Amino acid sequence: MSPVLTELSSLRAEDSPLPSRFAERFQSQSGISLKPAYYQLILSEQPDVGFFEIHAENYLSQGGPARYYLQKIRENYPITVHGVGLSIGGEQPINQEHLNRVAQLVDDVQPEVFSEHLAWSSHDNAFLNDLLPVAYDEATLQRVCEHIDHIQSHLKRTMLIENPSTYFEFNRSTMSEIDFISEMSKRTGCRLLLDVNNVDVSCFNHGHDAYDYLNAFPAHAVGQIHLAGHTIDSNQTVPLKIDSHDEPVSQDVWSLYHHTLTLTGDCPTLIERDGNLPAMAVLLEEAAFANTIRKSIHSLEIRREHIL
Amino acid sequence: MNTFFKNALLTEDTRFYNEIKASGIQEKEIRLNVYRNNITVSLIDALSDIFPVTQTLVGDEFFRASARIYLENNQPKSPVISEYGANFSDFIRHFEPAQSLPYLADLAALEYAMLRLTHSEEYETLDHQTVSDAFSSVEDPSTLTFSIPPTTQILASPFAIGSLYRAHFSDGHQRLNNVDINQSEYLLLIKSHLYAQLHVIQRDEAVFIKNLMQQKVLSEAIPDSDAFDLGETLAKLIEWNVFTNIK
Repeated sequence: MSPVLTELSSLRAEDSPLPSRFAERFQSQSGISLKPAYYQLILSEQPDVGFFEIHAENYLSQGGPARYYLQKIRENYPITVHGVGLSIGGEQPINQEHLNRVAQLVDDVQPEVFSEHLAWSSHDNAFLNDLLPVAYDEATLQRVCEHIDHIQSHLKRTMLIENPSTYFEFNRSTMSEIDFISEMSKRTGCRLLLDVNNVDVSCFNHGHDAYDYLNAFPAHAVGQIHLAGHTIDSNQTVPLKIDSHDEPVSQDVWSLYHHTLTLTGDCPTLIERDGNLPAMAVLLEEAAFANTIRKSIHSLEIRREHIL
Repeated sequence: MNTFFKNALLTEDTRFYNEIKASGIQEKEIRLNVYRNNITVSLIDALSDIFPVTQTLVGDEFFRASARIYLENNQPKSPVISEYGANFSDFIRHFEPAQSLPYLADLAALEYAMLRLTHSEEYETLDHQTVSDAFSSVEDPSTLTFSIPPTTQILASPFAIGSLYRAHFSDGHQRLNNVDINQSEYLLLIKSHLYAQLHVIQRDEAVFIKNLMQQKVLSEAIPDSDAFDLGETLAKLIEWNVFTNIK
């Protein structure tokens, strides 16, 4: 490992450069996805919400409404930047031009966290606009770690990597998703974004137990949680849960979330919604519900301390 | 491996199938189809967001079928999906089923240019007062030069695509049907208030603005035409916030 990367592995979120004046708010109150349909309402009503999360790729323009409203909203809220296009699981080198644009955005926004996916989306100069799965073998692990090292060095910050929602597993995989993710985090010092809906979706699709998955997940490395809705493809051959982000968070996922918090402790949480957008108030209610669950965990933790 | 994976996603190529853990070919296809579907639908949706007027003119079904054919050989090059579709207008120009609408390619090009302009950087423009001050500060205004944002564009089309575009965003289908599409048009695309603005202009005005953009002094920028009204044109350009500097 190069000296730069060693240094990065020891860097933790709490002592990341330029501590934000919003850090407390981000840590304690749940957030929602930032969508153009909500811009005006956010500015006029200043809703009480922990933070807003943006997709990096929607804010890489030089100007226009997206950058304008982001800047306005940033004045009053913590922001998290969630990348969907760096193709960390790709077989080819990271697209440097794209990384430069993302780095510029991260520099401008100074988000609480920058996160990306354990997935690929670009190959041979084509971007496929989906988060495609990777095989869990040593060759892929090495490549993914090199890509994360490269991005973290370039951004000069620790990033979070999200567990994927997948629809098939690879015959060539030699380790479990959990082993892959744990080793990836250990080798690169990256932290993890635990998407509880993805756990529900992937475990359903592959016949695994979601609670077993969570119990084995490296909870100590989790820096943020995502909650979202899914739909069901109930075909006769192999029913699948689809990670669609266009429905409210399901009851199963709320239960898994509660269990997750008993493992990770209280953790910044996002209500993620991309399609079939409801009134913003609906997402704020889901965020408030997440806060309620977090508070109940919080008092559990306090009780535990008493016992000790 | 991802070359095979990508081919499997975009074509009927089955060489990737042995990588997929499943009990049989049917299950492999159902699992792979989730990704195929995500890619196709999301890219068609992206094109539909980028080319809403084109879509309205040809109808949803025709548009989505055309977009599906387009994306087979034209995947986005960049993860910034709002930049997708740079050559969609060229595709339409050569797309046999769209030949009955000869203006469609120009309209798509206009839509794309408008979106790119909206996402481009902003320039601070001069207000009315500053412009009049600039005029009154010199003895001979004919020596003035005018700065215009470099993102400004002038387009010309043998069809009334500007009127068509504007009709779409004003009050819908009735106005759309009233546009005489076989009129040629000159269009000025400038950025104002965060968004691209479209103005239908006269040929002389197009020449004049082009000249100003080439930094010609006012007297040399005026087109050689009796129909050109300098006062009226300048008043419009000031109203539209076109100038960033005058000296």
